[in-house]
Amino acid sequence: MYSVELRDATKRYPGGGAEPVVALDAVDFVAEPGEFVAVVGPSGSGKSTLLNVLGLLDDPTDGRRLLNGTDVTELSVAERTEARKDSIGFVFQDFHLLPTLTAVENVALPTAFDPGDATAYAADLLSRFELGDRLDHEPSELSGGQKQRVAIARSLINEPTVLLADEPTGNLDTETGESILAEFERVKEEGVAVIAVTHDPRVEEYADRVVELTDGVLVGGVPDEMAPADGSSPARTVGSVTEPENR
Amino acid sequence: MSDDQTGVAPGVGPVDAGSDREDDDSHLRGGITGWLRGWRSAVGMAGRNLRRNRVRTVLAVLGVCIGVLAVAALGIFGNVLALGADDAIGDIGTQVVVSPNADAGVESLSTADVAAIRRAVDDPAAGDPAVVPLYSDNAIVEGANAQTFATIYGVEEPGLAFEAAEGRLPDRHRQGAIVGAGVAEDLGVGAGDTVGIAGSQVRVVAVLAETQTFSPVAPDDAVFLPESAFAADGYAQALVISESGETARAAADAIRGEVNAREKRVDLFELAAVVDEINEFFDLLSTFLLGLGAISLVVAGVSILNVMLMSTVERRQEIGVMRAVGVTRRDVLRVLLAEAGLIGAVGAAAGTVLTVLLVAGLVVATPAVDTSLVIHPTNGYYLLLALGFGVGVGIISGAYPAWKAANERPVEALRS
Repeated sequence: MYSVELRDATKRYPGGGAEPVVALDAVDFVAEPGEFVAVVGPSGSGKSTLLNVLGLLDDPTDGRRLLNGTDVTELSVAERTEARKDSIGFVFQDFHLLPTLTAVENVALPTAFDPGDATAYAADLLSRFELGDRLDHEPSELSGGQKQRVAIARSLINEPTVLLADEPTGNLDTETGESILAEFERVKEEGVAVIAVTHDPRVEEYADRVVELTDGVLVGGVPDEMAPADGSSPARTVGSVTEPENR
Repeated sequence: MSDDQTGVAPGVGPVDAGSDREDDDSHLRGGITGWLRGWRSAVGMAGRNLRRNRVRTVLAVLGVCIGVLAVAALGIFGNVLALGADDAIGDIGTQVVVSPNADAGVESLSTADVAAIRRAVDDPAAGDPAVVPLYSDNAIVEGANAQTFATIYGVEEPGLAFEAAEGRLPDRHRQGAIVGAGVAEDLGVGAGDTVGIAGSQVRVVAVLAETQTFSPVAPDDAVFLPESAFAADGYAQALVISESGETARAAADAIRGEVNAREKRVDLFELAAVVDEINEFFDLLSTFLLGLGAISLVVAGVSILNVMLMSTVERRQEIGVMRAVGVTRRDVLRVLLAEAGLIGAVGAAAGTVLTVLLVAGLVVATPAVDTSLVIHPTNGYYLLLALGFGVGVGIISGAYPAWKAANERPVEALRS
């Protein structure tokens, strides 16, 4: 069973002219648990739309979308929110931390309004990302790399099966970017499917598979070796493993 | 880094959140505590968001504060005016004066008429009022050094209708004169002195307390003698004295219905209707003043609306992020409503405190204002009303921006 799956998914936007803009054109895409997929392509090729559709922020105009084997093509707004909270983590290029909340509160944000207190787990996650001494710091008191680690911790608070990252290293220097990619390695080892949209060649190095999106057409979305529901480890198109010295 | 940091196993996590969702047994309890926790988080976040732009928040709070001050202060002023008027016109609404209907040729009230009046009002609905028949005449009353013109009444049971300031009112008035406060002052007489009335010297047994209110009988300028002093055929009028305006009206209706059933023998002079009109006027005045205050509260509401709209536009991305990471529309709505509600509540509380200080200051500075009217419990109602209005204006003004922000698609909000 794939963590996330798109079948023949098309996304059209009403454009300025008579013709709608096709952001995704009959895209087939799958990601297995524990797989790190990098999505590359030129600007305006539909990468963000792909991420939004995968992340249940936007719906495909046509085609099907599955999350952990469940068809989630057409959900109500509330159901989509619930599904995002249950299964999906987001990491953004601009980190998107809430400036009024401390690091630990930012991490616990997705569950802040739920019964039960996730603060302890949020603190655990931050400790795991070496931010155990920054729990009560506000984002303005953190460096870019620290902010992105807080953002990754936030994306994991709900124990997602899919982690979606939009240019996660885009605003970070080389060294910090490397350390963030190393974090993704660890996340992936816990069985989370990591899908990162990127321009950064380093991300491609870390990825198990690189797929290319051009003008809404996706190449390599479903590897040939991967039979549906087979669950075995996919072949890696680009070399990568966890090398401690990389971190 | 070290391996132990990579060792967090899947399945160990924010179990509280997950398990509560699945646990149907504790659904109700979880529902309530969850609801409370949701609001606690919302209010906490709202407070921090408000602190981000302190000047803007303070100005919005100030707007509500002034609005609440206006509503509460004007409401209380109106109420104090009404209470003061009520105090001044006081008991007149509880008196019905029954007099013979001269148009029908009735010159005086006979004993039978008085008995008929007593029967008519002997009813729990009419409050079983006291009926005091009066003879009436005019005469010069002479003291030791002065004289004055006064109404002379003949009354048997003065204690039912009047109060003594000096001396004691007899249960049955057999001898001596009871002097009204104004006459006693004019003549310089007190209980135990003697006054001359129509040539006879009469000992003063009591002086009446000065009346605070208007009464058609005008006891201040009258002298009350025993009925035996009069040789008249019948009574000039009868006072019907009730406990309240309501029972006075009922008594008047009963008299009209029974005594005037066949022939209109008596005229009724009823002040309850006048009092009603005066009260209606003061109700109108209060409403008018509250309306004036409400205008400023509406202006405050618009300023909250403005602040919340600006704030949600500025925080569009943040709200988008919250929605993206799984915060529900309802919870976003809660945070934003809590912000508007906090502005309203803090402004309303400050406005209420200011009103209390303002009113206290006015009482201290204006000795003419009767303190007992100002601390009357009904004024508290205006304070509570203004407080409630303030919070309500906050929430209502915040509702639209909150709803708008909560319902924006996160994908749009994140794109900005």
